[in-house]
Formats: sequence, structure tokens, C-alpha cells
Amino acid sequence: MKPWQEILSLKSTKVLILIVVGLLFLGLPLFASQYVSYLMLTFFAYAVMVLGLNLLFGYTGLLSFGHAFFMAIGAYTAAFLTGKFSILYMEVILVVAVIISSILAALIGAICVRYIKIYFAMLTLAFGMLFYTFLLKFYYLTGGDEGMRVLRPYLLGFNLSEIPKMQYLTRSYYIYTLVILAILTFVMWKIVSSPFGLCLKAIRDNPEKAEYLGVSVKRYRWYAFIISGAYAAIGGALLAPAIGQVDPGLTYWTHSGTLVFMTLLGGFENFFGPLIGGVVYIFLQDKVMSLTTYWRFIFGAILAFLVIVAPGGIAGVISSLVKKEKGGE
Amino acid sequence: MEKTRREFVKLVGGAALGAGVILAGKGRASAQTIPAKGAPSEPIRIGVMPGLTGVIGVPGTAAWRTTQIWADEVNASGGILGRKVELHMEEETTAKECVERFKKLTLEKKVDVIVGLMSTGNGLAVGPLAEELGQLWLAWDGTTQKGVEETMPKTKFAFKSIDNEAEAIGGAILTAKYFPKIKTIAGINNDYSYGRDCWESFQAVLKHFHPNVKAVEALWPKLGETDFTSHIAALKKAKPDLIMTSFWSGDVPILMKQAAAVGLFKTTKGCFTTGGGVHYTLKKEFTPEGLILGYNSMYFKWTDTWPLLTKFVKTYFDKYKEYPVYECDHAYFVLQAYKTAVEKCYSILGKWPTKEEVGKALSGIQVPSLSGYRGYREDNIMTCNFFMGITTHKNPYDFVTIDPVEVLTPSQIIKPTAETKLYEWIKGWKS
Amino acid sequence: METIVSIIFSGVFNASTLFLVAAGLQVVFGVQKVFNLACGSFYALGAYFGIVVVKSFVAGGFPKPLFIVPLIGAGLLLGFIGPIVERGLIKFVYDRDETFQLLLTFALVMMIEDVIKFIWGTSPQTTGGIDLIYGRINLFGATLPVYNLIVILCSLIIAALIGYILLNTKFGRIIRATADKKEMGEALGINMKMVYIKVFTLGTVLGTLGGALVIPATAVVSEMGVELIVLAFAVVVIGGLGSMKGAFIGALIVGVLKSVAISTYPELEMLTIYIIVIAVLVIKPQGLFGGSKV
Repeated sequence: MKPWQEILSLKSTKVLILIVVGLLFLGLPLFASQYVSYLMLTFFAYAVMVLGLNLLFGYTGLLSFGHAFFMAIGAYTAAFLTGKFSILYMEVILVVAVIISSILAALIGAICVRYIKIYFAMLTLAFGMLFYTFLLKFYYLTGGDEGMRVLRPYLLGFNLSEIPKMQYLTRSYYIYTLVILAILTFVMWKIVSSPFGLCLKAIRDNPEKAEYLGVSVKRYRWYAFIISGAYAAIGGALLAPAIGQVDPGLTYWTHSGTLVFMTLLGGFENFFGPLIGGVVYIFLQDKVMSLTTYWRFIFGAILAFLVIVAPGGIAGVISSLVKKEKGGE
Repeated sequence: MEKTRREFVKLVGGAALGAGVILAGKGRASAQTIPAKGAPSEPIRIGVMPGLTGVIGVPGTAAWRTTQIWADEVNASGGILGRKVELHMEEETTAKECVERFKKLTLEKKVDVIVGLMSTGNGLAVGPLAEELGQLWLAWDGTTQKGVEETMPKTKFAFKSIDNEAEAIGGAILTAKYFPKIKTIAGINNDYSYGRDCWESFQAVLKHFHPNVKAVEALWPKLGETDFTSHIAALKKAKPDLIMTSFWSGDVPILMKQAAAVGLFKTTKGCFTTGGGVHYTLKKEFTPEGLILGYNSMYFKWTDTWPLLTKFVKTYFDKYKEYPVYECDHAYFVLQAYKTAVEKCYSILGKWPTKEEVGKALSGIQVPSLSGYRGYREDNIMTCNFFMGITTHKNPYDFVTIDPVEVLTPSQIIKPTAETKLYEWIKGWKS
Repeated sequence: METIVSIIFSGVFNASTLFLVAAGLQVVFGVQKVFNLACGSFYALGAYFGIVVVKSFVAGGFPKPLFIVPLIGAGLLLGFIGPIVERGLIKFVYDRDETFQLLLTFALVMMIEDVIKFIWGTSPQTTGGIDLIYGRINLFGATLPVYNLIVILCSLIIAALIGYILLNTKFGRIIRATADKKEMGEALGINMKMVYIKVFTLGTVLGTLGGALVIPATAVVSEMGVELIVLAFAVVVIGGLGSMKGAFIGALIVGVLKSVAISTYPELEMLTIYIIVIAVLVIKPQGLFGGSKV
């Protein structure tokens, strides 16, 4: 049985767990430190991105090594709108980010989805790096390596500029982002369990068969690519005000690698896997970076371990443990 | 000026400082330090953010080493007002992560001050944050400049580095002085704001002295480029009288070596505005005499009469088998400035100062650092002398040094206030 | 003429080291179907180790002009990393999706970066001016460093050697057969484990040799490995994945093109390469020589 089928079969318990986790997240700033809340906030933004990434990777079987491109689109949208056009409404920023990223994803996707596997990964990587060099080259527009400031956006039309920065981030903006994440998680859940989502899985498992059954493989991959890009852009737009500054480093290929790392760490075969991966990655990096200057080695070793021993990630390990326990009963 | 370090401290801090020094002395005798009256007993927590990988890893490592040497020395002599110092290191990486680390140091580690950061992009991200969080940030090399414009002319907590373009201005002044006959110049600078600002301001200053000088080529390798054979071919093609570069990391020896391989500087003059950042890698075998070489704020063999420098060079060499670079001086200065400011505040207030009070004391402060006295202006921008000169092989090392040593003062190469428009300021100079 | 010669020459010099690294990437991809991102890290390791060897060679009082011998030795010696990495990591993922193999080598990149930092620190290092011993020659008025010529020559010899091995030896025939179909080798009763170890070691040595050879003409800096991956990536995409001929032509295209771009339109230096990469991927995703045998 596939993990996602399990979830369906255990629907009521799962829903209950989700509600509890959601409430825990919501109440977290009340008892956790500001810094922990801030890390959670960045996690919410990354969670949106990896949800999108996994629609491609886990559900459609396409590994994008350039997804940071779309998150940078979202982040720079926030910077341009707040900084250059004085549009401070977060809702407008999100909508514009979705529109721009969807258009770009449609164009790039039309090219990329013709290929699979390593070629798809390389093509997305090349586009990400092209945008990286673009940001550096057209510095009079983008600020080059210095990047751009992101001003504090209005939430639901409320101007919250009077509140101290950290309070704004860990209270108002925190809740705002969490709600968006919850909505987008729900939407993604609907997508993957819809006939469309089932088609994607069919394409992943056996594209020839899917094509034979009348599924337009490329078209479906293209749709998935666009949705995935839009998700990444929303994540980027949400992340930008939290950092306060956007820079080309956001679209460097290693940052795309980080997104894939998160997805793999949590488990790409499970709907919630990437989210688990995101939160674990963020807190792990926070600890390990303070512990040693050789944190890259440790992260490399973790990644190697995951790939070799536990490709199902944390969610994979948990579900196999659960299965074992059930088998024992 | 034969003075010991202890005497400097006395000089700067004034008489009231005596209390701290005496206490420190006692502390050493009893192998434990006693904090000054009214000072908390726990150690002072200093957040350090050095770049340790890639291009910024080169100066970053030097600065991080210096910070550790400083902390050991200060702790051995009783700490600051009897309080030991404790270092909390978080690596400088991307802007996003720097913001995170800065928040972590402030909110979780509750550090008293954060020193470090070298990239302007990261400075721009962290500068506003320091103000919002009320956290003292003393940059090594990070400014909050957008191009040549200062974005944060008035700060309380963010103490910024010297304007990015200072060394290029100094390089141009010396070019005009030593190579008055040149007609054509070419630039090879990294493709980012520092590189572009340096090239622009270098040309502006040079044209101020010699209006007929013409730029015949401008090359923009990306930051982190590791091969310049093609760039050198392009430079040879352009045949300029002088080549200017603002490289400051591992790219300097690469450029120098590959230039030597085709004899580029046999016919062409060179101005390496910031190459002193890796001066120990510029071996005589491939680095010619007669180039302008800038050491930024510190030249390791500037003088024998400044014990602070002599002692530091020895300590650093004994420990790491390398001769120190300017980033060491920035790192040393910011810590020394912080220490002095705290002691000053304490002598006036009679209690342990808040971050805001320390910030006020830091504005306009002058302290002895490795390169002599240097300080912060009232607008919290560093000022210091710049050391530049003409490369020579007449030394006992296997790398080049400079002779004569030109000491350029802040008034010559740094625009007087943050609001000053750079190019208007240059236009207003006397020729 | 003088200008054209020196621009082409510097492009070819770039291409010669790029070719070695890309060839390492290709041979491994051709046989094991693993896209080895760590090829740049091997290159960096070769460079750092090359410096150590040359320095001790000179310190030992050996005749300086012979430094090229221990340098090549250093590159070959480092090949021992090959079996370790292959047996220790790569062999576990042969049956997995290509993307997992890519991620594993990405992990390797991260680890080797820190290993280098741990052993050699962050300061740039050089072999001094030892390459200048060979002097320069004049060709159509252009000054060319002889050492760079030697590097180009070495690269050509290695290319010829690989060509010979692939076409005329039993090992080469096995490689070509298995590149087409993995089961083929097994069906013929060939010890595929040994083939994989040998091939991966060959791929590693090409990288370390490239790094060792280039180092007298440049300086080691900690970012050199990661920087090279992007270029090597461009080479194999343009040339075609898995093709040796592709690595050769691709390296020449990237090297010379970069050189020409720098001297004609320096602002576009890096952009040109990405645009060509994308153009090739869009128009002919197999690359110029993709689909042809290793």
C-alpha cells in the first residue's frame, strides 16, 4: 500500500492530528522564543515551496534542480512591488507573484517538460543559473549582488508599521503565513487526490502506459510544472519580507539543491514528507551551523546517508515502522 | 613611540579606567577575574560572523583568527572591566542566512555585540536589522552602501566599514603621482558592485588629475573566477599603459601568475588597489617590481615603532605561518573600539552601559589598533589610513613588499560625510 | 593575427583542462549512468595535492624543470580515491533513479569542500613561479607560455590515449558494450564490479590529473571545484552526455567561446555560455554528439 492510500484510510485520525499540529503551530509564538518562531516562519515559506517542488518530484517524477528560480521570482516580486512601486499590500504581491511565475513557468515548462530525468534536471538548472547571471548583470534594475530591500507589507489591508519588527514577524506575519500555508496545503491535497493528481502518478510510474490510456503526458507534466512554479513563487514572496532583503544567492543552483534536500529528507513519497523535511532541515541547520564550521560535511554525509539507506526519508522510516508494528500485532 | 599596550589603554580610557586595570591585575594573580563594581559577573558575549568559505573565506579566516587572538589576550589580562569575553561564531554565508544568524545571536545567544561581515549585500540586509533589534553591529568590511551612496547615513547601532571605493581612489591618486605619463588604462574588476564602484571612482579620480586619460578596456569576470588567461589575452589586445584591478582574494595571485606567464607587466604598468589582502601569496618569482599595490588599512611591516603591530605580526606568524592582512586590523579595531567604549561609558556612568550607551561612546571614538590610531566618524563609518606603495623585491621574504610606503589619510580618500555625493566631491578637489 | 592567436590559445588552454574534467564525467556517465557532480571536487583535490608534491619535490633538491613528472604522479596517485568513493558510496545507487545518483554526488561535493578546507585551509596557494622555468615562445607575434603548451599537449595525449583504449583494447570494448546495455556485460560473463571500479577510477584520475596539471599555471582557491562544475556541466551538455568526442568538442567550444566573448563583448562573458547551453538543450537535447557511443 502506498503511503498516500494509508492516509486516506486513516482519514479521521489524520485530520485530527493535522488540526492539533496546526493549533500547535498557531500557538507556538506564545511559549516559544522569538527566534524559534522566526525559524518556524521561514519554515512556512519553505513549506509552500517544497509542496510545489514535490508535485513535480514526488508525484510526477521530475526532479527540478532549478526550482530556486521560481522562489526568487516570488521574492523579487515582493522587493519590486514594495520597493519600486510602493505597493505594500501582501495580497497584491502574492497575486502578482503567481501571475508572473505562472507565465514564466508556462514558457519554461513548455521547453522543459519535453525531457525527463537528468535532462530535465539540467535544463531547469540552466534556467536557474541564467536568471542568476541576469540578476547580477542587470544590476541597475535588480541591485546586482547587493540585492533589494523588501519593505514591510500590509496584511489584509492593515498597515502594521508601528509594531516592532520582531513582533510583527513572529505574530501578525507569522499567523498570516501559517494561514496561507494551511490553505495551500489543502489545495495541494485536493490536487494530488483529484483525477488530475492520479494521472500524474500514472505518468510517473509508467508514462507509456499513461499515454496509451489517453493521458496527454506532456500536457499534464506542463500543468504540474506551472502549479509547482506558482507554489515556489508564493513561498518566495512569503519569505522575502521575513528576510527583509533579496539577493541573487536565492536562485543559485545550490539553493535549488537545498529545496530538493528538504524534500528528500522528509520523504518525497509522502504528501507531508517534504513539510517534515523542511522543518527538520531548518532546525538541524540552525544547530549544526553553530556547532561546527564543517557543517557542510555533516550535511553532505546526511544527504549521502539518506540517498543510500533511507531514500524514503523521515516519513518513509516512520511509515515502515508503523507498518512493522501493525504487522507484529 | 615606545609604549606598551597597557599604557595605551590607560591613555585612552583615562584615569577612571585604572580601576579596571588594577582589578584585572588582581584577577590574574588569583587566576580568576573579578568584575568591576556594578558589572555583571557573567562573561561578555561577542557574536562573530566571519566568512569562511569561497572568496570571502580568505579575509574572513584572517579576521576570525585575529578575533581569537584578541580574545585570548584580553582574557589573559583580566577581560573587559574584569569580565571575560566569550566568542560565539556564526559563519557569514548568504544574505538570507546572515539575517537568520544575526537574529539567532541577538535573540537566542543574547550577545552584547556582533562583529563581522564582509559582503556589502549582507551588510545591507543586516544593517536595518541591527537598528530594529537594537543590536550593536561592528562591521569588518561590510558597508550599507548602494553603489557609492550610503543607504543608512544615520545609525545608532550599525557601525559600518570604510566606503567601498576608498582604495580605488587611493590607487588613482598614486597612479597620477607615480605614472603621470600614462594615456590609456584598462580595468579588470569583479562583476559586482564593489568592482564596478572601484573602476568608476578610479577613472573619475585619474581623470581629475589627467583629463586626457582614456579607458580602452573594461573586463568583468564574475566574483570567484579562477582562470584569467582569456582576460589577459583581451588585455594584451587592448594594449593599455596601465591595468587597474580591485581584486582582493585568491584571484590576485591567479591574475598575477597568468600575467607573468605572458609577460604582461613587462610593458604595462599595474595598479592593484586591494591586492594586499593576499600579499603573502604574491611571490617574487611571478610578481614584478614597480606595481602599485594597496594594503588597505594595514601593512604588516609598516614600522618598527608601533609595538602593537610588531607583537601581533609575530603572534600571528608563529601561530599560522602567514603574515597578517588588513582584515586582521579591521577585526582587531572593532573589538578594541568596543572595549574602549565600554570602559569609557563605565568610567562616566559608574555602571555597566547599555548597548545604546556603548553605541554613543563608539561614535567618534579613536583607539590604537594594529595600524595606528583609527576610529569611527560621528556617522558611524570607519576611518583609517590606507597603506599603498610600489612593489619591491628588496626584502627577506619570498613575496613582494612595498617601497616607498605611502600612507593615505581618510581626508584624502574617504568622502567627508555619508551624504556627500562622491563624484561632486572629487570634482571639487584641488588639482 | 597576434591577437587572434593569443585569444584562441588561451581558449584552448582553458579547454584542455575542461576536457579532462568533462572526460571524467563522460566516461562515468557513459558506463555507470551516474552524472558525477563531484568531478570538480576531484579537480580541486588534484590541484591542492599537486602543490604539496611540487613543493616537496623542489624542497628535496630535485631538478626543477622535472617537476612535471611528480605532478603527473600526484594526479595519478590520487586515483586511489576512485575505488573508495565507488565502493563506499556510488555502488549502492546503481539501481536507483538517476536523480538519486545526482544527489549523492551533490553530497560528495559538500563533503569534499570541507575536507579540503580542513586539510589546506582557505588561503590561496601557488607553486611559486615554477612554470616560468620553461619560458615563453613567440608565435605570429603572440607570446605563449610554454608550460601552458605542455598542458595542452598532455591533454591531447590523454585524449588520444582514451581514444585508443576505447577503440582498441578489451577494456574499451567492454566499456562500449556496457554503455549500450548494462546486461550485455553481465551476460558475457564479465565481472561488472571490476569494470565499474576501473571506470570510476579512470573518471577520478582524469579529474585529479586535470587539477594537478593546471595548478602551476594558476593558484588554488577553495572555490575552484564548485566553479568548474558549472563549466564542465556546460561542456557535456553542449557535447552530448556520455560522449568522449562530445567532451572534446564541447570543451573547445566553451573554452574558445568564453575567450572570444571576453575580448569582444566582456559584459556577456558568462551569459553566453548559459544561453548556448539552453539553446543546445532546446534544439538538440542529446547534445552535438549525444546518442553516439562513448
